[in-house]
Amino acid sequence: MTTATTTRAGLIEVTGLTKRFGTFTAVDDLSFTVEPGRITGFLGPNGAGKTTTLRMLLGLIRPTSGTATIGGHPYVDLPHPLSSVGAALEATNFHPGRSGRDHLLVLADTADVPASRVDELLELTGIPAAARKRAGGYSMGMRQRLGLAAALLADPEVLVLDEPANGLDPEGIRWLRGFLRHLSGQGKTILVSSHLLREVEQTVDDVVIIANGRLVRSGPMAGLRGTPGALVQTSDPAALAGALRVADVTSTVAEDGSLVADTTDLRLVGDVALRAGLPVYGLAPRTADLEALFFELTEGTNRNLGAGAAGSPAVPLERDAMTGEEGANE
Amino acid sequence: MVGAIRSELRKFFTTRMWWGMAIGIFVGGALFAAFFAYAFTSDLAGQSGGPGGMPTGDAEQIANSVYTAGLSIGYLLLLTIGVLQIGSEYRHKTITGTFLATPRRVRAMLAKVVALLVIGAVYGLVSLAGSVSVGAVVLGLRDVDAFPSTQIVRTLALSLLVLGLWALIGLGIGILIPNQVAALLIGIGVAWIVEPLASVLLGFWDWGAQHVVQFMPTQATNAIVNAVQDGSGTARLDWWGGALTLTAYAVVLAGIGIWRTSRADIA
Ligand SMILES: Nc1ncnc2c1ncn2[C@@H]1O[C@H](COP(=O)(O)OP(=O)(O)OP(=O)(O)O)[C@@H](O)[C@H]1O
Ligand SMILES: [Mg+2]
Repeated sequence: MTTATTTRAGLIEVTGLTKRFGTFTAVDDLSFTVEPGRITGFLGPNGAGKTTTLRMLLGLIRPTSGTATIGGHPYVDLPHPLSSVGAALEATNFHPGRSGRDHLLVLADTADVPASRVDELLELTGIPAAARKRAGGYSMGMRQRLGLAAALLADPEVLVLDEPANGLDPEGIRWLRGFLRHLSGQGKTILVSSHLLREVEQTVDDVVIIANGRLVRSGPMAGLRGTPGALVQTSDPAALAGALRVADVTSTVAEDGSLVADTTDLRLVGDVALRAGLPVYGLAPRTADLEALFFELTEGTNRNLGAGAAGSPAVPLERDAMTGEEGANE
Repeated sequence: MVGAIRSELRKFFTTRMWWGMAIGIFVGGALFAAFFAYAFTSDLAGQSGGPGGMPTGDAEQIANSVYTAGLSIGYLLLLTIGVLQIGSEYRHKTITGTFLATPRRVRAMLAKVVALLVIGAVYGLVSLAGSVSVGAVVLGLRDVDAFPSTQIVRTLALSLLVLGLWALIGLGIGILIPNQVAALLIGIGVAWIVEPLASVLLGFWDWGAQHVVQFMPTQATNAIVNAVQDGSGTARLDWWGGALTLTAYAVVLAGIGIWRTSRADIA
């Protein structure tokens, strides 16, 4: 790991993290880093081990082995934890009989944060009116906002949010996106978990994807999307490919007979086809189907789906049917 | 640490429970004081050494008993408060926020200990406000010296400590029995049913009556405040012996609880 020796304040480093509950391995030798000034999506299907990992990072669960550090230190060793790391883990972590504002004041006491800052955050997260009512009556979205306010209380360098979009309406999700963008613009490290890649694809810069407790993929979001291209349907793909090559555009013929041109310039593709006298039945920018990709990455390793799911899931499923379920296991 | 203690106190005083408890303790103190002031002075009128297990005691013990009569309600309420101070954190999962704010868990729990001692003292004052005001009036009406000696002051001060210690016992029970309803039932059941029964049974066994019964938590509590005795002839500790015994219960129970909490996964 190239960054292992640095101790930048907002850098999160997870190394060989493992947690076993009895014989069940919830998190399995997980390693990744989260960079300051970027929003990192921590993704995986239900039960993948996201919450367990975040709780180990925050010193709430004791790892079976491995380490998780923030700015080079384990969470428990941070001298001023709330001003280093703000965390919102679950939307239910409130005493129903205590008002939202009092919840924040309880936390503020431990971090020497003045009451004026509490009111400022209630404004910022859009719940000043509800804040004096008892939290038992809050909607899911209000709880999420209160949780976010709690995380931001001492203006931390690092934000760790477990499924913060859960229960937010579309307007709330848009607000959250803008809010996280704004915070990462200030150089903060933001780690946000989700079980939906699509939910965070417009928000995150980097992704860490896990399945069955193991790392599946980590890196910039752009790398996941693949190179952009143009998808064109025509009567003779090979002829169009030749015409495009003359125009300095490489292309490949896809399985379904459509042509994938390595350019984002749709006009150029259309013009080339016109000059070559080829009909164009369809022309569209090619975007990676992130949902399918995510499914492939996380469920593709699921033994029940059989081998080769990364290519086309339909084929191995047919093979399953012929050879019986066990035959497809690796 | 100061911040963590302040936070614990705010936790307690920002839910409705605190003033319900305060009213209960005040009223309990006043009612018990009135009742015992009346009852003891009636006995005194016709007593000669307390035959038939009648309560016996001198003027000082009577005053002590009257002023601390409310403690029998008070210590159970503080036991409840101690259980809830940790039990509701587990139940509502606010313990996550507590340990995020104070990741050194022993420190977080010691903040609870200090806060509970403060809360015990505050409720002690509330209880005394009820029992001393009413008790002194009733004793006065019955022509009994309401303040026979300065020892009374020590008793009153110690009753504040008693409530704090019971709250710590509650804290320990609340940790060791994570279901707070079960913890409450067991805690109160032991204090009100199991212990009196055990005392009676042990009373049939001389050695037990002389060496064991006095170390039971309720007996130790009565010894601290030097209340009148029930005349059954069992041994009783000195006030400081009672205080040490009750402290030992609090330290052991809260200590085991804190040790457990400091190692557990918070999921
Ligand atoms: N305390 C525990 N004891 C036993 N098993 C546990 C415990 N906590 C979590 N697990 C198991 O570990 C696995 C990972 O759980 P975790 O909550 O980390 O998943 P997740 O990725 O957060 O899922 P979700 O998207 O549903 O929130 C699950 O199979 C869960 O049942
Ligand atoms: Mg989760």
